[in-house]
Amino acid sequence: MSSVLRILLRRLGISVIVLIGVSMLIFAIARIIPGDPARIALGPNATAEQVVMIRTEMHLDEPIVAQYGHFVADVLRGDLGTSLYTNRPVTTDIAEFLPATLELVIFAGILMVGFGLPLGILAARHRGRWPDHVVRVLTLLTVSAPSFVWAVILMLLFAFYLPLFPVAGRLDSAYDITRVTGFLTVDTLIAGNFGAFLDALHHLVLPAVALALSGIGQAARLTRANMVETYDKPYIEMAEAYGFFPSRIARRYAFKPSLIPSLTIIGLDFAAMLGNAFLVEAVFAWPGLSRYGVAVILRKDLNAIMGTVLIIALTFLVVNIIVDLLIAFLNTRIRHSTRGAT
Amino acid sequence: MSALLDIRDLRLGFKGLRGITEVLHGIDLAIAAGERVALVGESGSGKSVTARIILGLLQEARAARVSGAVEFDGRDISTMPARQRAKLRGTEMSMIFQDPTSSLNPTFTIGRQFAEVMRRRQPEMSREACDRRASEMLAEVSIPDPARVLSAYPFQLSGGMNQRVMIAMALVNHPKLLLADEPGTALDVSVQALTLRLMHDLVERHGTAVLFISHNLGVVREFADRVYVIYRGRIVEEGPTRALFDNPGHAYTRALMSAVPRITGAGLPEVPEVSDDFLAPMVRHTGGAA
Repeated sequence: MSSVLRILLRRLGISVIVLIGVSMLIFAIARIIPGDPARIALGPNATAEQVVMIRTEMHLDEPIVAQYGHFVADVLRGDLGTSLYTNRPVTTDIAEFLPATLELVIFAGILMVGFGLPLGILAARHRGRWPDHVVRVLTLLTVSAPSFVWAVILMLLFAFYLPLFPVAGRLDSAYDITRVTGFLTVDTLIAGNFGAFLDALHHLVLPAVALALSGIGQAARLTRANMVETYDKPYIEMAEAYGFFPSRIARRYAFKPSLIPSLTIIGLDFAAMLGNAFLVEAVFAWPGLSRYGVAVILRKDLNAIMGTVLIIALTFLVVNIIVDLLIAFLNTRIRHSTRGAT
Repeated sequence: MSALLDIRDLRLGFKGLRGITEVLHGIDLAIAAGERVALVGESGSGKSVTARIILGLLQEARAARVSGAVEFDGRDISTMPARQRAKLRGTEMSMIFQDPTSSLNPTFTIGRQFAEVMRRRQPEMSREACDRRASEMLAEVSIPDPARVLSAYPFQLSGGMNQRVMIAMALVNHPKLLLADEPGTALDVSVQALTLRLMHDLVERHGTAVLFISHNLGVVREFADRVYVIYRGRIVEEGPTRALFDNPGHAYTRALMSAVPRITGAGLPEVPEVSDDFLAPMVRHTGGAA
């Protein structure tokens, strides 16, 4: 297990470097794009003195390196500054909007793994026969359209023409749920309101499916491709020679070695859904971080932009670390690499 | 003599774009219980497909057309439903493959793979019981530290070690027939010789019949009681090992024997790829059987 720990430490080290890099990049970009944030914040009727005052307050009159220094010092204290758009601390805004996005992305991730992998296994087991063809055509369809297109299509089909699902929002306004975690599916259960829980799930289905569809397709295709390759390995022939059932061979002997190469891509897909959530949230009026991100970018709200990007980068890194650990755990060669080597 | 395995007029064809290509043209082959029989021939001659038909694997391939009788223990495998064929595999018959290391699953420990094989016969067997039995079996193939091997993954063991594991695994369920498809060809010669010796002793002790598939005549001579020589999907010569080696009757058998490079170094022998002599009728040695 010590090699897994080593992987964890190394990934954490790399993550810190990545975060520093991301913060510098986005810091620089935010200051290169034209427009004076102080003036935008104060509006067209502000006096020159007011602008100067705000600029001093925001350290905008100092050299860019010093500005970055102020920024890092604040971040380390857990202070992301105040949003000029909402006039609240950025951390408060993020705490409010992030859970909605995470709930959506996590739910979509569950769909991606829960449908993508079994479909891939099914196709690989019946490779060259009709279940394989059906899965391949369907998944090609889902990967070839971006998720916001799916969002619009699904909304039209299942919320408009066939009103099976709500069109927008996270919860019917009839329910009043105390906010604990910000995850409505969790909060409604904490409140003991099962009806509200179902309603929250009901609202979650269409956006999550729209977000997950291309991921499901990619996960299925990847799993299929890797498994078909594994099926040619001698140890699969050996399993057949020992008379194991085809379903058992598929699930145990062929799937596990094939999962390892698929997992990296699935992890990246999962993290990429954070970005895709931008447009899906826009379509479904989902009050998440992505919508907030768009709003603050359009207003050149520096503190809020920096905060949002940092949080998204952080989530990306956390997902990647989890995937790396999973791979290290599944791949016996990595897990046991310490035995032979130093 | 009641045969354990009796193959009569076995034909195999593969369906391609231009009709069916026949690769086995009517093979007759019999193995008595406890007998060690070798099937010798060059690559592409039909050795391995014969083994896969006996296991009932090729019958399930969509492009394969199998005809003829394959009787195992009094029952015809080729007419049996797929499920029953699968039931025989790993219990009544088992197989050893060419490359031991890549034939073991890299994601499971040896102990786990042993347990899976043993549960083919006794599904209720506990893991402890499996490990105990596997250790005994590993001791039989002269593995000094069975516990360590059982908890190891195939890639942590040497090729020779994995070969012994494969032999032990193939025999743990006391099969009546062991199919050995060029066992240990992927290993170096000294390791191969050692593991073959182990396998020889073990099948003798257990009374297991063996179909030994090989292109290596030296190995065949040491291992088998009887030999079939196969050339392009036809058996060209059959007989007890001594008789066949002392007096090879078929042109192809003689060519095959002359193709073995001498360790004394007389250069590489010339062997024609195709010759009309090779298509001569089958030679059968009678009598002189041990």
